[in-house]
Amino acid sequence: MAKILVVDDSSTVRDEVAGFLKGHGLDVATAVDGKDGLAKLKADAAIRLVVSDVNMPNMDGLTMAEKIRGELKNASVNLIMLTTESSPSMKERGKAAGIKGWIVKPFNGSVVLETFKKLAA
Amino acid sequence: MISEDAKKGVNHLFTRAARANLALAPSDTITIEQLPGTAIVDTPQQRILVLTVASYVFRLLTIFHVDNDAATESYFTRSDPERVFGEVFSELGNLCCGAMNRDLGKHFLHTGMSTPYLLESQCLAFLKALKPAYVVQHRIVINDSVVLHATLCLCAYAPIDFRVDSEMAEEATGELELF
Repeated sequence: MAKILVVDDSSTVRDEVAGFLKGHGLDVATAVDGKDGLAKLKADAAIRLVVSDVNMPNMDGLTMAEKIRGELKNASVNLIMLTTESSPSMKERGKAAGIKGWIVKPFNGSVVLETFKKLAA
Repeated sequence: MISEDAKKGVNHLFTRAARANLALAPSDTITIEQLPGTAIVDTPQQRILVLTVASYVFRLLTIFHVDNDAATESYFTRSDPERVFGEVFSELGNLCCGAMNRDLGKHFLHTGMSTPYLLESQCLAFLKALKPAYVVQHRIVINDSVVLHATLCLCAYAPIDFRVDSEMAEEATGELELF
């Protein structure tokens, strides 16, 4: 079963997003920052979609995205940013790293569920 | 160095962000009162949550003064023992300052935001070292039972002048923008 990786330094957000997705039958893993996200993705080939915060300690979400495409050479996993940020320069950096989409927090699961299911398939 | 329009703007952006993010339900009442004075003052709360929005020309610290007394903890955790008050409130502060960051980003290039830090209120004494050019405090009351304070501390590295359109619509959140 394809899996979604939720990366956020806030346990409140991890619990909210992962809880919602699990409640709708999706398989979910979590990571506490970009460094942890990179390690979890490297170790689990079932992950098809990464939903990540941007501002996090140790490694931010955009750097993680760049490393997924660069260091891990993983071009197939879908990447979505879930963040309070919305600056055009950050989005441009995300696009250059091959991210698929951008959500400004707070998370509204019902709005994105069907898209997440498709991206995780 | 900070114009009156800019001071009004910062207070307006804070009030709007707090109103949108600290009240958990649409039916909840929230009042936000700007307190007189421009000094960093003690409040009854023992803990503070600090977030920073900064650009090349300013640094804005938003400091929430909050305690996990029964009414406050019960409100913000929705009485769910699985929710950790500090974590929940940190994320609400993050949403609040995230909204301010997006609004300030319309007036200043290259704004950035910190992650939230929960500290003891004794740390407030060190704010003076930043030599803030403008300090203002707000008292926030939710449902007549939850009381917290917020101090806005604006440090200016150049003249700061911008005007916020108070009629400006709030930015949509929660939507997925596909690239």
